[in-house]
Amino acid sequence: MLQQSVGATAPKVDRPAALRDPILALVHRATFGYTTEEHARARSMGFEGWRDEQLAPDAINDSALDAELASFGSLPLTFAQMLSAYPPSSNGDAVVATELRSARILRAVLSRRQLFERVVEFWTDHFNIDGIGSAQLRYLKSVDDREVIRTHALGRFRDLLGASAKSGAMLVYLDNASNVAGAPNENYARELMELHTLGSDGGYSETDVVEVARCLTGWTIRAVGSGAAGTFRFDANTHDDLSKIVLGVPIPPGGGQQDGETVLDLLASHPNTAARIARKMCVFFLDYEPAQTTVDRVAARFLETDGDLRETLREVLSRASFEEIDVWSAKKLRRPMHMALGAVRSTGASVAAAVGLAGELQLMGHAPFTWAAPNGFPDALGAWGTNLLPRWSFASRLTAGGVPGALLPLSSLSQLFAGVPANRRAAQLDRALTGGRMAPADVTELQAFLDAQPTVDVNVAREAVALALSLPSTQWL
Amino acid sequence: MSHEKREAHACAEYWKLSRRGFLGAASGAAATIALPRVAFARGGGTPRPTLVGIFLRGAIDGLSTVVPYGDAGLYTARPNLAVGAPGTTDGAVDLDGYFGLNPNAAALLTPFQANRLAFVHACGSPDPTRSHFDAMRTMETGTPDNPTSTEAAGWLARHLQSVSPSGTGPLRAIAQNDLMPRVLALAPNSLPILDPGNFALAGAPATEASRRAAISDAYARTIEPLRSAASNTLDSISTLEAIDFAGYVPANGAVYPASPFGAVMRNTAALIKAGIDLEVAHYDYGGWDHHNDQGPLTGTLAGMLGDLAAGLEAFYLDMQGMEDRYVLYAKSEFGRRVAENGSAGTDHGSGGIMMVMGNRVQGGQVHGVWPTLDPSQLDNGDVRVETDYRDVVAEILTAGIGGTDLGNVFLGHGTTPLGVVV
Repeated sequence: MLQQSVGATAPKVDRPAALRDPILALVHRATFGYTTEEHARARSMGFEGWRDEQLAPDAINDSALDAELASFGSLPLTFAQMLSAYPPSSNGDAVVATELRSARILRAVLSRRQLFERVVEFWTDHFNIDGIGSAQLRYLKSVDDREVIRTHALGRFRDLLGASAKSGAMLVYLDNASNVAGAPNENYARELMELHTLGSDGGYSETDVVEVARCLTGWTIRAVGSGAAGTFRFDANTHDDLSKIVLGVPIPPGGGQQDGETVLDLLASHPNTAARIARKMCVFFLDYEPAQTTVDRVAARFLETDGDLRETLREVLSRASFEEIDVWSAKKLRRPMHMALGAVRSTGASVAAAVGLAGELQLMGHAPFTWAAPNGFPDALGAWGTNLLPRWSFASRLTAGGVPGALLPLSSLSQLFAGVPANRRAAQLDRALTGGRMAPADVTELQAFLDAQPTVDVNVAREAVALALSLPSTQWL
Repeated sequence: MSHEKREAHACAEYWKLSRRGFLGAASGAAATIALPRVAFARGGGTPRPTLVGIFLRGAIDGLSTVVPYGDAGLYTARPNLAVGAPGTTDGAVDLDGYFGLNPNAAALLTPFQANRLAFVHACGSPDPTRSHFDAMRTMETGTPDNPTSTEAAGWLARHLQSVSPSGTGPLRAIAQNDLMPRVLALAPNSLPILDPGNFALAGAPATEASRRAAISDAYARTIEPLRSAASNTLDSISTLEAIDFAGYVPANGAVYPASPFGAVMRNTAALIKAGIDLEVAHYDYGGWDHHNDQGPLTGTLAGMLGDLAAGLEAFYLDMQGMEDRYVLYAKSEFGRRVAENGSAGTDHGSGGIMMVMGNRVQGGQVHGVWPTLDPSQLDNGDVRVETDYRDVVAEILTAGIGGTDLGNVFLGHGTTPLGVVV
């Protein structure tokens, strides 16, 4: 945070400390935004020590965040309980969606389990569900977030895949809930192979799409009216119990629900799935073009651990990966949510309510749970790299107090340059916001801006922070 | 414009981008690309009609929109989902004695009967994939007969690279979306702008000039596409701020629907009338993947068709008498399966519809060869693609808006004349 950046923990030099520093690169990649405290903690624990702590989130006390989330009454509820406590007749579905979105933002900003929140973001996109597509989805996505994504994000892939296949939200979103014998609905079956496992070049045919859809007939949800409403149910009456062949593997008749389980087993253990998940995780955490040696090593780890996602991620975030990919020279664009919430974290802005930040993310096209198509928000330079004005304007509004609920403390702004020589102010800002890894030319630009101001008061400090958060250096992962 | 001419125009400056990173694609070897960035003298071209492109993402059901009621195969394949013939209860609105409009899309009759709107049926991409995302990728990069191509630029981008800017305005193309659609990937002087009526740099006025200067300098040193996007953004702010979007009054009593699409079409008319040399106005209109409860009369498709038709009708009326200022098209990545599924919806198919409206469009007709819905004529259960979308686009780019380098736009595809735009 800004106010704590002036002091003993700040590096003594402007730039060299940041060059090829694996710990600094790790902190930027494994969190929702740099803070001097997290950086100091990581340095004291060491690369592996801090990473392994973050890979065991259950052991990290997060009670301060839990207290913040306590007011969101819908978060722990089942679908049936939500319908009763937040009925659609009084726009309860909108309240549930708002609470989930706010919780997502608060967790990203405040959680001490930062890597867990990042990996939750990854799997939320991988198993994307349009969380605002209908009243039913607004309720069910909240359940899916808790019981599928957050429960299994560091578990076994087969368990995550199975939980997703039986998630009420997924069953409704991709229509498997109405997939019945005789006239199968292919929607989920296709995306299960194309997006969730093998990939479109992963070796399945159009016939496999139909056969998988047939295997999954009868996988549906319980109707509204019981306490188990919206949960998975296998309906033998609508299941196609004749024989099928999936990826060349015969599935004998009479298998019932086991047909679908067999399909999930086949897909989860397929080497093409391992390769695809490995590459996607490397892109998400490291760079757009990860070295093939890294991807292969991560995929091998996935396969040898039977899809243990914690061990797979440990391999992604290894010194070897950082060296092979040369993460220090990578130019991977942070997506808007990462950029915006990272700005909140690095400036130490307090968040009394997430609604203003949610509105800003909406303006940037990256409000959580709003991507309508099943492929999830893109993670590509071409998709995000041309929409810059919302980033710059957000930075200005955040520092000027123009984002409702998010407040940059005046004390931190007034102390920002205290005791710092005038010609070192930009370097100080760089240390506070990024740990000192801004491009030297950007630091020079920032210093020139400060030098041109008649006086450097709190208001100029605001503008300087906004400018720093608008420069290219603060857009990279 | 010949290929040689394009080469002569290519400037020494190149965009070097990570192909995989740029596209987010999961196929193809790691490679870098180097595309020529156009360096025409500004204002060297001639004014041309604005190309308005609407991508109906998710795959609109052509058979429920422009209904082939004269084809008995429709009623065999879709006992529950077919729109009836004209004259039956909730039947189609007749277009030509064989095809009829879904009654929810009846507003399209206004431009159709004025011979300004044309449909092309059994139209689509030769890429056989039934994956939305692969089909979109090859359609937008214009590489449908080479699905493993790692081409990064969109065909609209290559069009803009192929011709001189039509004026001196800072924006040649705009997508009214949060993200740059792939069809415009690597397009010069192009931006995604969700709301062109709200495009200003926030922050204190006292430091605005110096912040702008710092941003401008810093982004000039970074990589593409950020480098060009930053300068395009800063250059476009004053142009867009000079347009009164909020106070815009549509002509001829046109009333746009109170929906995101209505706002987009209204903004598009305002942008064209403002005369800012805008060459392309694109919109990604998502949500057409109706696997479930499709309708066609009261389901999810029905409401969306009403919005689409109302938005297009209002735009037509607003621009009436100025048809030489635009050519509009709407299309999807593919059509939908002929047979209905068990969810009262339809799965992914092949041939579908394309709509074309505006300058020199041979409207009032349903163009294209109709392969019929006889099971023997289907392509794995889908409407066979008889008309390649590239051939329709080629006529739009040449006859419709005044010319391009087709060999560059569609990478050597030999186009077939159709007579949709002449």
